[in-house]
Order: sequence, then structure tokens, then C-alpha cells
Amino acid sequence: MRTGSRDAEASGGRDAALVRLYHVSKSYLAGTWALHDLTLEIGKGEFVFLTGPSGAGKTSLLRLIFAAERPSDGQILILGRNVGRARESSIPPLRRRIGVVFQDFKLLPRRTVEENVRLALEVVGTPTREARARTFAILKQVGLQHRRHHHPLSLSGGEQQRVAIARALVNEPELLLADEPTGNLDPDMALEILDLISGAAARGTTVLVATHDQTILRRYRRRTLRLEAGRLVEDTPAPGSGT
Amino acid sequence: MSAPRALRAFAARVLYFARTALRGLRASPLTSLVAVVTITVTLILAGAFALVVKNMQGLLERIGEDVTVTAYLDEGLADQDRAALAARVRTVEGVQEVVSVSKDEARQRFERAGQGRADLLQALGENPLPASLEISLAPDRRNAEGVRVVMESLRGLPGITELANAQDWVQGYAGALSLLRAVGFGLGIMLALATLLIVSNTIRLAVYARRDEIEILTLVGASRTFVAIPFLLEGALQGAVGGALAVAGLGGLYRLALPSFGSALTLVFGDSPPSFFSASQMIALIAAGALLGVVSSAASLAGGLRQ
Repeated sequence: MRTGSRDAEASGGRDAALVRLYHVSKSYLAGTWALHDLTLEIGKGEFVFLTGPSGAGKTSLLRLIFAAERPSDGQILILGRNVGRARESSIPPLRRRIGVVFQDFKLLPRRTVEENVRLALEVVGTPTREARARTFAILKQVGLQHRRHHHPLSLSGGEQQRVAIARALVNEPELLLADEPTGNLDPDMALEILDLISGAAARGTTVLVATHDQTILRRYRRRTLRLEAGRLVEDTPAPGSGT
Repeated sequence: MSAPRALRAFAARVLYFARTALRGLRASPLTSLVAVVTITVTLILAGAFALVVKNMQGLLERIGEDVTVTAYLDEGLADQDRAALAARVRTVEGVQEVVSVSKDEARQRFERAGQGRADLLQALGENPLPASLEISLAPDRRNAEGVRVVMESLRGLPGITELANAQDWVQGYAGALSLLRAVGFGLGIMLALATLLIVSNTIRLAVYARRDEIEILTLVGASRTFVAIPFLLEGALQGAVGGALAVAGLGGLYRLALPSFGSALTLVFGDSPPSFFSASQMIALIAAGALLGVVSSAASLAGGLRQ
């Protein structure tokens, strides 16, 4: 069972890093740096917050990690693969091991909740019956099994984000990235969403959440990376982690 | 992965591609209609030309069957020797059939063909027409080079005084056939390119309308091929429908136009009536439509799908 083995791996802590950045920089315009000389590691099973003001480079960093962009300089190793040098054909297999959640949900409005979630399974060729069963199970986990035949636009913002989380988790990814997942939600809904993400981390998924919501940072108290003007200015370990 | 699971995974992918392609067609009916109509019009134009070429080529091939070499024989050659010579000529490579024509038969033919000018021969008294062998060639020798080689083999055979043929006509025949094929090929290429340009730009609109879907698919790990296949299937379906409509349209035009141009067609095609496409040619036209659709889709996707 994949989850079980990942639980065992997660107990190994940070010594087996899933994300490694060595002196990574990213520039979109000559002379200006979206990210500058970042070096960091995120271990298996860790739950890490990425914070900083708007424009600090949080989204750029996430985009580098799920290989939507290539670094201008430095090396990035994700799940053991150097994404800066990876061939384009090796990016999709890597992404199937990463779940991504966005502030704007990125759901397909013409497809039902069930179809949106099942998309991630169809991409990896999961047999139809198994895909249906796993989609139902994950929707039940996020409390939306009764809404599976609805279309996203008929759901509330919180429900849409839960669908996006279900889609990101249905493939049992090793790494879950969330870019301001609560940015469009009210505080109660935001905590509900973070509970779901936290639950995934508890089951062994490595989680990196970009947020500037101080309430969330205070409540969850996890390792926090702080970016400012593209530089890593603070790496605060989780209280009691001993690192 | 166990074999049954691999099979079920394959079936799931096929089902996904088919479902997504049909969903795409339903989502952009106007774009689909434009693509289908463009392909239909192109294939009707190309198909009409192909139909003319096919019938003219058929006619030329039928005329080609009449390409013969005539060997005029010695005045004094006995019937027995003529028969022996004919048997020998039959063994020459490239010869399909030999018809022996006696002096009397030659006279009778002249009289039949002369229609009232038989008095010309009577005026001469003696029959001046020589006996001959009419030699028809094997299909692969019905060209200028084939005629030359066969004549070379016949030259010098005892009993033959002169060899005659329609070599110039054969060359003209081969040239006309090549020209027709070249014009057809060029026209086909030009039409295909024009269609490709129009249809690929039309499909590009559909791809643009579904850019969110493409983005999400790539985010969840879909490869370029996985994203592209439903679009290619859509193109194939649109092309096949366009091809089928073109076959139906050409069939309709053929039935409507044939009676009106009956006498003109008799002039062009002679006694043999023009024919429509065979079943396999109709299937080929539909397949050409599907191929045109697939290539147009591929052209519209080229460079548009980035990971």
C-alpha cells in the first residue's frame, strides 16, 4: 500500500529531502531578480509554510518547484530529479507525483465536481472503475460526495477549493504545493481548508503552502520560510522540531 | 502492472480520448462546422478533378490497348509461311497478340472503311494491299520505349518488309497522361495546403477557447500527446464527416450533371460511359478528409502545447 510506505518514509524526517534548491535565482527581466540565491531543503513528510509580502517571490518559487519555469541560475532537485536540466518529456511524470492547489481553484466549469477530480486519475490511465471509486473516496474525505454531480460554479468558494484539494490529492502525491489556497475564502473556510491540507501532511505527504495569512501561521505553527524581495530571509523551524 | 490492469488502463484512456473529442465538438459547434464545410468544399473540388482524371485516364488506357505495330509482309509469302511467321512473332518478348491479315482481308477492310471509295481499288485492278501482321503489345510495353524495343526485335525477321506504328501518338498519349497526373497532383497539393491553412486556423480558435483545460491538464501531469490526442481525434472526425459529405455531394452532382452533358461527354469519352468512384475510392476520399483534419489539428497545436 503506497500510503503506508510513505508513512514509514515520513518518519525518516528531513534527512531524505524531497525538495532541494542550491543557489537558485530566477529573473524574468534582465537586471531584476524574482528569486535570488535561494538555498533550502524540504524533507519527506514535512509541512512547511512559505510566507512573505506580495511580490516576494512565493509563486515564482512554487512554479520552479512544479517545473512550470526553469531557474535562471542554480540547481533544483525535486523528488530526486534536476528540473532545471530535465527534458520536457520528463516533466509530466514528475508532475503526476506533485499535487498543486491554487488560489483561483483552476477548475473546469463545464465539468462536474467528479469529472474535475477524476481528471488527475485519467491522465495517469487509472482504470475507469478504480478511478470512480477513488474519486468518490477523496470527495467523501473532503466532505463533498453529495455534490459530485454539481458543476463548480454552483458551489461556494470553500467548496470549490475543497474540490481542487481533492483533485490534488486523489493521485496520492508525494508533494503537495498550495499557492495562497485560502486567499479567496473567509476565515472559517480558510481554517477548514488548512485542516484538509494538514490532514494530508499527517498521512505522509510533504506539504508546502504559500500564504501571507498570519492567523494561519500562528495557528498551525510549522516550519516557515520567509521570502522578501526574492531572498530567503528567515527559515523558522517548527516549535519542538529540534532543528 | 498486471496485464488485465494494463488493458483496463488502455481502455480507460481510449474512453477518455473519445469522450473528450466528442465534448470538444459539442463545445465549439461553429468551429466544427467551419472545419467540416472547408474540408467538404476542398474535397468536392479535388474529387471532381480526380473524377475527370480517372475517366480520362480510363479512356486513354482503353485507347492505349489499341497500340499496335503493323508488320507488312512479302508479296509472295504463302499462307502457311504467314501463319508460321505469326507464331514466331508471338514468341517475341512484349508481344501480347498477333492477328494475321491476308491481302483479301486487307482489301475487305479498306472497302468497309472507305465507304463508297472501293472504286479506287477496282480502278487499280490488282489488289495493291499487302498482307500484314497486326501485333498488339503487352500492357507494360504500351509506351514509346516498349514499341521501340519490340520493333527492334521484329526488324530483320524473314518475310517482313516494313514495320509501321503509331509511335508519335504513343508518345503523345504518354505525355498527356503524365500532364494530367501532374496537374492533378499539383492541384491536390495546392488545395490541401489552402485547406490546411484555413482549417488549422479554425481549430486554433478551438484550442484557444480551451486553453484553461489545457493548462489544468498539464498541471496534473498530462503529456503533450495526452493533451493533443483528443484534438487530433476531433480533426479526424471533422475530416471524415467532410469527406463523407464530399462523396455524397459529388455523387449528387454526378447524377444531376450527367444527363445535361451527355452529348458533350460522348465527344470526350467516346462510347464508353463515364464512371463514378468505386467503393474503395470513396473510402479513400473519406480517409483523405480524415487525414486532412488530423494534419490541420496537428498544425494548429504545433508549438501551442508547452509543459
